[in-house]
Amino acid sequence: MPANDHPLSSAPGAGPAIQTSGLTKRFGSRAAIDNVDLHVPRGSAFGFLGPNGAGKTTMIRMLLGLTHASAGTMSLLGRPVPAERAQALSRVGAIVEEPRFHPQLSGRENLRIVAAARGPATRDRITPALRRVGLSERADEKVKKYSLGMRQRLGVARCLLADPLLLILDEPTNGLDPGGIQEFREMIRSMVEEEGRTIFISSHLLDEVEKICDHAAIVDRGKIITQGAISELAEGSTQHELIVGIDDPERALSVLAGCEWARQSQRSDEGLRVVLADIGDMSAAAGAAAINTALVDAGLAVSRLEPVRQSLEKRFLEVTSRLSDSTVEEVKA
Amino acid sequence: MNATAITPSEANSGMNVTVAAQMTGADILKLRKKRGILIWSLVLAIVPLLILYIAKAILHSSNPAEHGPAGGVPGFTDGVRLLALFFGTLAAVLVGAEAGAGDISAGVFRDLVVTGRDRAALFASRVPAALVVMWSIAIVGYAIILLASFLFAGSLPTPSLALVLNGLGFVLLADGIVCVLAVAFGSLTGSKPATIIAMIAWQIVASPILASIGTLGSAREWLFSQAIIHFSPVHFDGARGETIAMGLGMALVVLIVWLAVFLALGAWRTRTMDA
Repeated sequence: MPANDHPLSSAPGAGPAIQTSGLTKRFGSRAAIDNVDLHVPRGSAFGFLGPNGAGKTTMIRMLLGLTHASAGTMSLLGRPVPAERAQALSRVGAIVEEPRFHPQLSGRENLRIVAAARGPATRDRITPALRRVGLSERADEKVKKYSLGMRQRLGVARCLLADPLLLILDEPTNGLDPGGIQEFREMIRSMVEEEGRTIFISSHLLDEVEKICDHAAIVDRGKIITQGAISELAEGSTQHELIVGIDDPERALSVLAGCEWARQSQRSDEGLRVVLADIGDMSAAAGAAAINTALVDAGLAVSRLEPVRQSLEKRFLEVTSRLSDSTVEEVKA
Repeated sequence: MNATAITPSEANSGMNVTVAAQMTGADILKLRKKRGILIWSLVLAIVPLLILYIAKAILHSSNPAEHGPAGGVPGFTDGVRLLALFFGTLAAVLVGAEAGAGDISAGVFRDLVVTGRDRAALFASRVPAALVVMWSIAIVGYAIILLASFLFAGSLPTPSLALVLNGLGFVLLADGIVCVLAVAFGSLTGSKPATIIAMIAWQIVASPILASIGTLGSAREWLFSQAIIHFSPVHFDGARGETIAMGLGMALVVLIVWLAVFLALGAWRTRTMDA
């Protein structure tokens, strides 16, 4: 069942998993989070993507009531925060930064501590939660003997005590080995696809977000640059590129050097890679056709003409570097 | 485990006796499993008493004419003084500091905040937990006092039942108040080392010095250690520097003010701090 078709995703009166409007956090005169409007749909794995220091953890800390917002409104699971914070958080699980525990206690005892704060019904969820993350066998060992991967899994188990509709995970794969990352990724996807939970993951790892998430927001210097479905974000790039298979690449390069539709051309393993020029309202398809015509008119045999699929990484670098450029220009002005 | 829709009954809508008991139990578990703190607290509460009674017993057996029996009412008085005013309070500081600052030091305070539970409740559960642990330690110490007082009484009178009960109440009061103040101060600072150093410095150094400065006059009545001594069922000469005479009402007011101010500060900090 697709995540968005799960009954939880359309629970009556539920509202989005996370919604913020004009959310701002200032430290003195510096805005760590600046007027952020965020919309996280239910039943999705949502990536909150940004470079280190972009404000991701500050955003999460505000959502969870760990620090106060300077301005703006927010809601979790349709409940306004902080007005109905207790009700909202009763079905939210979170790992903020690295998961921390009392090292002198066992994994199970650490869960008992949190279960006591969550309420009487929660205690019955300890054993299933430990089983769910694969820690049943070592639940009674002291946490100080756990590896980082085991602590991450125990952190997820702690989240599951809330039977969460929403999990908020801050850089969850930090420090995990490749096997651990793969396990973690599968666990997250199954929570979304099979259990209908919403997962909000902050990360600076583009590849990670692209593999786990179906929606994302790109944040930089406290501002949301763009947000939406991963596929839409990647395709939202203003830079269109073509792979061109050609019989005589050298001559093709000289032809394209005089072609107004090609902004940049270079040889590659596949033949040529051509970045299309940004000409008025011209579509990428029209640009590709113009390139093809120019090459064929020059007597070259075109065997392949394929648009390059834009990755989230490329989009990310594009929008964040654009922001840097504009900031530099503002400073110069 | 499949997620289900949110229901009002599941929300952390408020405290009840069951939740409060569970939270206190969880805090006791944390303290109980902190072996280092527990062992040192027991050592501080018990070892000085053992040394006291063993030394007195040896002296008495070696020279009965010069040294009286180790037990009886005098031995009881010495033991109560050690446990209630000196080493017991050091143990209380250790336990209280761990209870007050343990979650913050371990970095798990934010995970408790994320449960949605009111921060004041998180603070409040630390106090009874610390008292349970501290009083358990104090009772073990007090049992040693009683055992030695009766076992080594010799020709001396033994403590009456009233004195035994009053002595127990005094030990629990003295160690309990210091423990609660340490919980509150630990919650205020968020640092175990800072709490332990500051509290012990106050107890062992600053408070006796202030009590002995005559020019401070009646202002010395506001030292909580002086107010605690007022409730002692036995007389201590120069127990903590100079002993300041004060009425029952004043002693009660001093203790209540100290507790109220520190608990309010600890609760305020717990509610407002960035987790």
